[in-house]
Amino acid sequence: MTPVIQVQNLSRWYGNVLGLSDVTLEIDAGITGLLGPNGAGKSTFLKLITGQIKPNIGSVAISGQKVKNNYSLFRTIGFCPEQDAYYDELTGWQFLTGLLRLYHFSEPEIVRHAQKALDIVELTPDKDRIIKSYSRGMRQRLKVAQAIAHEPEILILDEPLNGLDPLSRRKIIRLIKTYKQEGKTIIVSSHVLPEIEAMTQKIILIHQGKIFAEGDIHYIRDLIEKHPHIVSIRCSDPRKLASLFIAHDFVLKVNFLAGNDSLLVETNNRDKFFGLLPSLFVEHNIEVFEITSPDDNLQAVFDYLIGQ
Amino acid sequence: MTIKEKGYSHWDGEFLDKKFPWWPITRYGIKLTIRKKFFKLLFFMALTPSVLFLAGIYVAERMEDFQFMIREGEVPDFLKINPAYFKAYFTNEYILFMIVMILVFCGAGLISDDLKYNSLQLYFSRPISKKDYFLGKASVIVFFLFFITLLPGLVFILMKLLFAANFEFLSAYPLLPLSVISYSLLVTVFFAFYGLFLSSVNKNRRYVAILIFGLYVFSDILYGIFHGIFRNEFFALLSIKENLKQAGAFLFGQKLPHDIPWALSFLVIAGFCVLGALVLKKKIRSVEVVK
Repeated sequence: MTPVIQVQNLSRWYGNVLGLSDVTLEIDAGITGLLGPNGAGKSTFLKLITGQIKPNIGSVAISGQKVKNNYSLFRTIGFCPEQDAYYDELTGWQFLTGLLRLYHFSEPEIVRHAQKALDIVELTPDKDRIIKSYSRGMRQRLKVAQAIAHEPEILILDEPLNGLDPLSRRKIIRLIKTYKQEGKTIIVSSHVLPEIEAMTQKIILIHQGKIFAEGDIHYIRDLIEKHPHIVSIRCSDPRKLASLFIAHDFVLKVNFLAGNDSLLVETNNRDKFFGLLPSLFVEHNIEVFEITSPDDNLQAVFDYLIGQ
Repeated sequence: MTIKEKGYSHWDGEFLDKKFPWWPITRYGIKLTIRKKFFKLLFFMALTPSVLFLAGIYVAERMEDFQFMIREGEVPDFLKINPAYFKAYFTNEYILFMIVMILVFCGAGLISDDLKYNSLQLYFSRPISKKDYFLGKASVIVFFLFFITLLPGLVFILMKLLFAANFEFLSAYPLLPLSVISYSLLVTVFFAFYGLFLSSVNKNRRYVAILIFGLYVFSDILYGIFHGIFRNEFFALLSIKENLKQAGAFLFGQKLPHDIPWALSFLVIAGFCVLGALVLKKKIRSVEVVK
């Protein structure tokens, strides 16, 4: 059985800038998360597999067929780009039906597909409003709608959760999971680990145009656990909180920050640490103003992994 | 248990190519143009000369009914239906001006809007090649310009034959249909490249509209200035209008308006189309992400 997407020695440069370097991988049905910091090459990879840009070296095959100049193959692919790509003066309905016409569906089919896609992303009540008046979340959902409207076998979503409120985010995640249940292939790119984690266990780590790791999300989770994690807490009594922290062996270091109401805590077990926090605040009546993780981003994890 | 776990297998069938994948792009472009304010009025104005010339053909054929309009009983030259009559229609300044105005309306936003709204990636992630995209956009221009060039030309010939009720006209000028077709194609293809090329150089539709009109007028002004100073006919090659007139005169077998080889005008027109094609090839591509 051939993999759904097969990529061999794929490389792409933009002048002197390396977009993607010697990537070889296979992607099967189900959800695959493409994880990497901004500028890692995620969008380049997705544009290469959707045939929108041509590789300098290497090849891409989808369902065993070469992508290059095989335009009919794109009937089976739905692509949701990262950037906004709308005609602002059109209504959501006009935008969607206009794009569906490119597939040469008959008029009743166009109406059926457009209606179904709008129902799925819950935009039906707003379908006759011009896109200019849509909120960020609605625009993002419309972008997803245009990708799923023709019922593709392969769905490629470039940062689909960007700028979405938690409710819309949950809706999109649910939609993606439904697609998986139908046996379809979904590739979702993101630079936020928890976003990917909410959708799939299967990830591809991409960094500086190279595939850094590939496989189960637990692999990177374990690596992250080993990586000391820094949490900044602004509260009413930082010294008391510090004294409570040092009693636990998963807290490695505590520093006080200038201003006397913040402390930086270094831990080697994020889950245990965050599990403990609420009880400490409640039991000792400490008022919390802010909790942030200065290094809780993928770039920090990658920097750490590369350092290793 | 998901379907994948039960065993996912690929469909081994063949994808069937649609015959005219560019047609939805054309249809949509035509629809959007017709919806534009003042376009219908402009289009009607562009068609007026064809009605007048058609009336001229009728009058020329029914000359005995219109004797009262003619002095000394002689048919004036402008009512003699021959290739010169057709050339007069096709290369008159009003028609060329209206072609440019229609191009401003239907061509300015064709690519610039797609660039502005980042939508090339939406086209190219669908079963549409660059060639289909270009054909789809170019066909919008071709559609409207054929109404002012090819269609009236063919209707003139047909009406002349109908009014005369014989084929003498065709036997006298057997190459005329070919002249009409070839000149219409030349003008339409040139303006399709001209419009698309300029539409691809900027994301602002209004700016492109000014460019389309401005370049046409500017090329003529440039010719006027240089010709005025140096009195050299070769400066006609700088003018879009003069090159089209020169090509038209050649294709209809008439005296060339400028004393320069007709082939040079064809070269200038072809050169512009090649330049347009090269720029379009570079400009029409999906968004590339470099951060």
